[in-house]
Amino acid sequence: MIWQIKPVGLVLGVGLLLAGSISPAAAQDESKPAETVCIQCHGSQPGRLGEPVKQWRQSIHAANGISCHDCHGGDPTDFAMAMSPERGFLGAPEAVGIPDFCGRCHVGVKEDYLASRHGQALGAGGPHCVTCHGNHAIVKASLDLINQQDCTRCHEFGRAQTIKEAMSETDQRLTGLTTDLAELHKVGIAVDELEGTTFALRNDFHRLFHSVDVEQVRQQTSQFQSRAAEIGGKIEKIQEELHQRKLWGALAATLLFFASALFFLIRKTYQDEEQS
Amino acid sequence: MPLRKKIMDFIDARLGMRDILEQNLTKYLLPKNVNAWYTLGAVLLTLFTIQFVTGILLLIHYVPDTKEAFQSVQQVTNEVPFGWLIRDLHAVGSNLTVATLLLHMLSVMFMGSYKRPRELTWISGFLLFNLALGLCLTGYLLPWSQLSFWATTVATDAAGAVPVVGDALVRFMRGGAMVGEETLGRFFALHVMVLPLVLGMLIGFHLFCVRRVGISKPPFGDDYQPPVIHETFHHEEHPGGIPFFPNYAIKDLAVICGFLGLLVVMVFFFPNLFIPPTAFEPADPFTTPEHIKPEWYFLWAYQALKVFPSEVIGLAVQGAFMTFLALLPFIDRGEERRPARRPIFVACYVLGILVFVAISIWGHYS
Amino acid sequence: MDRETVPLAQRRSFLFIIVGAVGVVLGALTAWPIWKFLAPGKTAGKLEKISVARGEVGVGKAHFFNFHGRPAVVLQLKPGDFSAFSAVCTHLGCIVKWVVEKQEFLCPCHAGRYSAEGAVLSGPPPKPLESLPVAVEGDQVLIG
Repeated sequence: MIWQIKPVGLVLGVGLLLAGSISPAAAQDESKPAETVCIQCHGSQPGRLGEPVKQWRQSIHAANGISCHDCHGGDPTDFAMAMSPERGFLGAPEAVGIPDFCGRCHVGVKEDYLASRHGQALGAGGPHCVTCHGNHAIVKASLDLINQQDCTRCHEFGRAQTIKEAMSETDQRLTGLTTDLAELHKVGIAVDELEGTTFALRNDFHRLFHSVDVEQVRQQTSQFQSRAAEIGGKIEKIQEELHQRKLWGALAATLLFFASALFFLIRKTYQDEEQS
Repeated sequence: MPLRKKIMDFIDARLGMRDILEQNLTKYLLPKNVNAWYTLGAVLLTLFTIQFVTGILLLIHYVPDTKEAFQSVQQVTNEVPFGWLIRDLHAVGSNLTVATLLLHMLSVMFMGSYKRPRELTWISGFLLFNLALGLCLTGYLLPWSQLSFWATTVATDAAGAVPVVGDALVRFMRGGAMVGEETLGRFFALHVMVLPLVLGMLIGFHLFCVRRVGISKPPFGDDYQPPVIHETFHHEEHPGGIPFFPNYAIKDLAVICGFLGLLVVMVFFFPNLFIPPTAFEPADPFTTPEHIKPEWYFLWAYQALKVFPSEVIGLAVQGAFMTFLALLPFIDRGEERRPARRPIFVACYVLGILVFVAISIWGHYS
Repeated sequence: MDRETVPLAQRRSFLFIIVGAVGVVLGALTAWPIWKFLAPGKTAGKLEKISVARGEVGVGKAHFFNFHGRPAVVLQLKPGDFSAFSAVCTHLGCIVKWVVEKQEFLCPCHAGRYSAEGAVLSGPPPKPLESLPVAVEGDQVLIG
């Protein structure tokens, strides 16, 4: 009899089992877009020509899907025309052309920079974007970019330190907000709008530095602080609500366990009866 | 005459309701040594009811379209009053239900209650277990998050290892080459209508089998006698036993409250145990997140597939194991139900549990 | 014998009463969320409109204002032709600026550009600016 059941069982088993089997092996790469021709070529080249790719891979641009052609132009899908001016290829900019190059996307920063002492010194020994941020290994902007090693290349650190100190409290506040929001996001609270507002605020704030004007920073700090406080207030409200929920949950759980204990006691009275 | 008695008289005169109630409540006698494991059926009924009710409430707001699904779930959890509670109960509840199913199955195996004449109860139970897993798999996709999308991609890929028809099978399950709009549509239909309907009918059949054959006597105690195996239908009676209502029904309630307490603790204090951060990112078919793993109850299958040299063998081994489990009453035909006198079975049983736990843990860390 | 069974029955009734009370509380704790979940809210679908004086919006110019806590902008492209959008860039949340010379929006963070109809012209934004309904009543422009 068992051999009559086996084939049916096997089909049944396999069919049912498919509902529960998982394989890691096959999330195919056909779902990912192909690498640009830029990376395909430069990625495997040694020395100077391949260096940028390695650096770019660790950058915040790479993490956000910004690739070679987004800055340098050219055609990322066609080997022959990849570096053709016809397809918008810009090559690597000269030092004086760098603010315009980066400013094609980072509009606000470029504006503040060109109006600043740094911007006015462009071409006359002053710093440009790459001086502090690098060109390919660009990391997420933070106050660490203002440091002894880099700023003293041109002048003494004192004024750089002043501006860094003026900005550090607000910067910490903003970072704190970002962290709190990330925590809320992890538990499913819809904080997209707040995250956007905080990002905008942080951007405005970092942009402010490029004016390298300590007075301006100090003046605007209170504005930034109050905007940050507004966001902070909303976050606190959400956190308070989450805390409230836990209290109600504790009450409900306690009542349920209490009810369970009571039922067990009632059961005991029946058992005593059954025994006698 | 009080109203209640009048109503009962009306129904009783037409349907004989009092007799049915008596036969299933006060005059339904259970063996005196019936233990707590026998309450798990009632616990499961409660848990499935909670899944059903919370599912319907969620259905009011959910939109089964790839462009709107994620948003609709976000809306329920953030804007609809107590939507977060309904959603968490449904998601956490599904995990507790699977865990309770496993406990129920394990206790039935240990007490040999699957043996003749209860084979049909066992098979329907096995099918119910698979249906529950199917509900979990289909439900997982619906929020259309990164977790949903990629876990489903990985899960449906497994079918590709079946020889000859593998690829066609994957395409059929997905409604296309990749997980997409078509997949969401069919998984939604399965999760919301087909599987609950079949589950409901099968639960009815399962309960019918349990009542019709009669509840089994726990195979413990000095005065336990192995039951006589009858060639024709025989309903197992327990004269001198305790009435189901109110004596044992109270115990059902006690254990149910305990499980509900556990559910509440998990929902309010550890909801993210089963809902990782990738569940809150909208699906992106072009970016595979790191560490996509199936839920804990599928880890054994996930790891088993990785352990064997070829996927076909891995699938076949799993298929064989599940088939063995399904046909257990026909493989283990001995009449003895006392665990102390079934050393081979108990050894395999303990080994099986250890292997399951070990391979699941391995799957979690691999 | 009587001495033992009477306390038993009493004990049982007492326990039943307590568990009944707990059950009522639990029932309320269950029914309340379900009721709130299902019952339509008072403000469901009705956000009050924000009004902006006509005079504040020059022709070809944009006026930024606060729309229920979110930054928004109202434009008057041609005389009498008003349109309103959310001023939040759909890329990462910065506030867009109106460039009068080009009659388009520009986001200062990563140079996202939107047309006067809110459609994405270039740059990283994935979606157009959210459009807000506008009605004109006399010398007030009502948005929402």
